[in-house]
Amino acid sequence: MKGSPETDAVAASDGSDEQEIGGEPIGRPWLAALLAWLVPGAGHIYLRRRARGVIFFGIVLVTMFIGCLLDGRLYSTFAGHPLVIAASLGSLGAGVPYFLLLAIGYAGVPLAAGYEYGTTFLITGGLMNLLLVLDAWDISTGRKP
Amino acid sequence: MSHLMLMVIHAALIGAFFSLLWRRQWKAQLFLFLKIFLGLSLGAVALGWLMYFFPSGPPAPLP
Repeated sequence: MKGSPETDAVAASDGSDEQEIGGEPIGRPWLAALLAWLVPGAGHIYLRRRARGVIFFGIVLVTMFIGCLLDGRLYSTFAGHPLVIAASLGSLGAGVPYFLLLAIGYAGVPLAAGYEYGTTFLITGGLMNLLLVLDAWDISTGRKP
Repeated sequence: MSHLMLMVIHAALIGAFFSLLWRRQWKAQLFLFLKIFLGLSLGAVALGWLMYFFPSGPPAPLP
């Protein structure tokens, strides 16, 4: 959706370089979003933002890798306390890396010194990828250049 | 690895992610990265110092 004159003016006056609000629709939004969820950065690569896609892939993977190094918890419980469900949904946002970790039996070590920090990194990685899904959708529908 | 270093790494990753997500030109990306990175890192240190005025008190009894 193209921005209104007011939003264009706000974007131009806030010191950022984002003067162009919308762009041309590109690709299939659902496919872009699905790819973005499955593999971090893949949605952007599909939408011809290759450099961004590769960097996003690296950032999300490094975040999750550090979380695993610290033996953080990989939430995979979708029942019970609402916060646990929210954490599971956040981690699930990482897509294939999340399922790979589950497949190899990774769960984290509660007694490890970096357990809480690692959990934070793992959830952060999933949440980052969820934002990438939304970004890929916006680019594909033309809401974002 | 120290807790401070982990926090700095986390701030750097968050800053890199959002600067790339929200800005398109490298100068704007760098500016936003520095804002997020320094805001998170220095903000956490400042918050830590402020907690000096709110001591945690004795430990809670074991159930």
